[in-house]
Amino acid sequence: MSKVVGIDLGTTNSLVAYVKDGAPFVIRDKSGDGLVPSIVSAAPDGTVYVGREAQRRLLTDPRRTVYSVKRFMGKGIDDVQGDAKLLPFQVSGEPGGVVRIGLGDREFTPPEVSAFVLRELKRRAEEHFAEQGEFDNEVDRAVITVPAYFNDAQRTATRDAGRIAGLEVLRIINEPTAASLAYGLDKKNQGVIAVYDFGGGTFDISILRVEDGVFQVLSTNGDTHLGGDDIDLLIVERILADLASPTPQHTLPEGFSAQHTPESIQEIRKAVIQAKWDLSELDETDLLGVRLTRAAFEAMIRPVIDRTLAPCRQALTDASLQASDVEEVVLVGGSTRMPLVRRLVGELFGRTPHSELNPDEVVALGAALQADILVTGNREMLLLDVTPLSLGIETMGGVVSKIILRNSTIPATGSEMFTTGVDNQTAVDIHVLQGERELVGDNRSLARFRLRGIPPMPAGMPRVQVQFQIDANGILSVTASELRTNVEQTIEVKPSYGLTDDQVEQMLIDSFEHAEADFAARMLIEARNEAESVIIATEKTLRSPEFPSIAAEELTEAEQTRITQALAGLKHVIKSDSRDSIIQWTTVLNEATKHLAEVAMNRSVRAALTGKNVDTV
Amino acid sequence: MTSQTHTHLLQECRTCGGGAPVDVHFCPSCTKILTIGRQGDYFSFLGLPRKLNLDVAAVEQQFRVLSRQFHPDYFYNATPTERRASLERSSYLNDAYRTLKQPASRVAYLLDVEGVLKPADHEAGKLAPASLLEEVFALNEELDEVRDMRNGGAPDAEWRARLAAAAAPIEAKRAEHEAQLGELSNQWDALPPGDQAARTAVLGALRERVLERNYINNLLATIERETTGVGGPQL
Repeated sequence: MSKVVGIDLGTTNSLVAYVKDGAPFVIRDKSGDGLVPSIVSAAPDGTVYVGREAQRRLLTDPRRTVYSVKRFMGKGIDDVQGDAKLLPFQVSGEPGGVVRIGLGDREFTPPEVSAFVLRELKRRAEEHFAEQGEFDNEVDRAVITVPAYFNDAQRTATRDAGRIAGLEVLRIINEPTAASLAYGLDKKNQGVIAVYDFGGGTFDISILRVEDGVFQVLSTNGDTHLGGDDIDLLIVERILADLASPTPQHTLPEGFSAQHTPESIQEIRKAVIQAKWDLSELDETDLLGVRLTRAAFEAMIRPVIDRTLAPCRQALTDASLQASDVEEVVLVGGSTRMPLVRRLVGELFGRTPHSELNPDEVVALGAALQADILVTGNREMLLLDVTPLSLGIETMGGVVSKIILRNSTIPATGSEMFTTGVDNQTAVDIHVLQGERELVGDNRSLARFRLRGIPPMPAGMPRVQVQFQIDANGILSVTASELRTNVEQTIEVKPSYGLTDDQVEQMLIDSFEHAEADFAARMLIEARNEAESVIIATEKTLRSPEFPSIAAEELTEAEQTRITQALAGLKHVIKSDSRDSIIQWTTVLNEATKHLAEVAMNRSVRAALTGKNVDTV
Repeated sequence: MTSQTHTHLLQECRTCGGGAPVDVHFCPSCTKILTIGRQGDYFSFLGLPRKLNLDVAAVEQQFRVLSRQFHPDYFYNATPTERRASLERSSYLNDAYRTLKQPASRVAYLLDVEGVLKPADHEAGKLAPASLLEEVFALNEELDEVRDMRNGGAPDAEWRARLAAAAAPIEAKRAEHEAQLGELSNQWDALPPGDQAARTAVLGALRERVLERNYINNLLATIERETTGVGGPQL
């Protein structure tokens, strides 16, 4: 039976986990590293690198390396202008369409870039299962986590990424909820818990009630644009400003210019991240030649951390609870390693937060547990999550009428009655939005569709009921029927910032074709390299001072002709894209020069010997 | 549907074609989860009496028990019919729980299933009930003056105090209505079955109080918006 894994697809790092004998564990590489950096890099020869290797290439070839792509999932170009500022890679797109990211010489949508990371995790898991001697090591299904505060477009984009990577996404679950599942396993908690999840790019707070093994989310809030990245960026910008001043305090390593080149920005970013890590353990550190104390660092980043507190208070209000009602606080995400975060969260809830489980791994462990529940039907635990944002439709005057309120337990339904404005009207346009604001323009546009096939009737007579269904993934679907005639309506939903099913299918096919093309490109390059070295060696021999005498004394006329012809032949085909011809002519030249090489070798050995005193031999 | 002789069978099992009483969740013949066709109401779905004073802990307990029976997590390997049924039944359960958990939405739902609310009532929050006209006029004048004060540069504390003073009588009115709603709720729960005249009377009184209370809440929300600054609700 093929395997089902849990995947934490993070802004900075991704992980894959699996449940064996009831216990979840993270699948690691041979060096014990469970994290796959969510970084993708394309070499000029077309080879794509993912993870640690791509992370190294971020310093050597930043223009061809992509990171933090999670921030672009389900977004349009207008949403991400601010983000694209200091990134080394190209971000583009048509207004109102999906973002496109330049990776090497090609352009990809964010789900396609994420699919590279997912394929790497899939490969890692399959390798692990093969090593374990599993009968079937294929990994074709997964539970993937998303920030609780992700909207419909971002969830759909994540599911699309899975499909493009060849994974059936059994379930999209929320990261804080997954973490609570991993924590709850040992403790069998009862009561109210708060999960504070502060990662590389996103922040979530979820308040849960755990009872009888049911993990019921009461409320969730957050910011899908708030994480460790923002702290790094804040300090990188300060250093860049300092370097541009007449008397800079910071110094860059040898070979880096103080200009805003992608290379120098990545070098600064690396130093900033290292300093941030240091200051979680130490009271002071060095940042590019400047002494930085933890107190000074905390003063700098305090405004960013403070932005996480308002969502916490809102979540408590929405759950009709006081901070003191929360019995346990769980910390998730790498950014919760910062002492300042622990202190402020502790103060807010009036208790010391839990951090027993590795904050980088706990979400993946929870995802693996959920995957296990789905395939085994194990009923010990049940996750009941909520939709983070209200769902509504546009009504007269550009006002949003809410149909499903935020923090409703999912799956959930809502319905709205529509009618026509003019006689014999047979279609109605519907605009679906997500968000808490009153006006259409302040909310997220999810989809526009046209309700067709309404029977011709006087204006106001048709009664079209549109049913909205949010499934257990937090993803929306729409159905409709005209109640007077019982006619089912045709609905074409065009996602505002997403991909159609056909596009996703095409990307899946493309990824196979490109996987072959990538492989073929690498094979061709290897054949060329081999041919090149044979040509160079041959030409070197032909040009050597000894060659005329060798040719005269040892080689037949036919042998000499064959060498000349073979060399010319290989030099001709090496420019072609035919790997077979290159290999064939390389063999021909090798054969033709075999005798010459032997003779040349013997002569040089003999020359070496005769040139020396016999005694020293 | 099933034949005339089985009128008590209100739902049909899509799996085996057998019939089942309304508000049974699993087919008595084949044990499979039933799709939601015709159902009773939120009260009967949760196995609760149609009353206004409910034991919230019991409602939550029942919600968890039924969630464990219906949730899509447990139907991943089931047939498409069962998966659809699980999605529908879970959604209906969640909607029912959300509605009955809070007293305010519970009473509104009761009026709805009893057929007392008219379609126009859903818009009624925008029309001032006759009994509140006096308060509404007074408040509107007060709000106009407060806006003038603010525009004229009066200190924050001053116009805020005016708003608080304006809100006080309306809050008292709300407390009064809540008490009346509590009393009417007790009456409703104590009604002997079959006394149709008494039911109609209590429901009518409940409807009046609910519509007025909704309107009062809108007034208080308006004052709140004036206090926290003009504009939409703030997050």
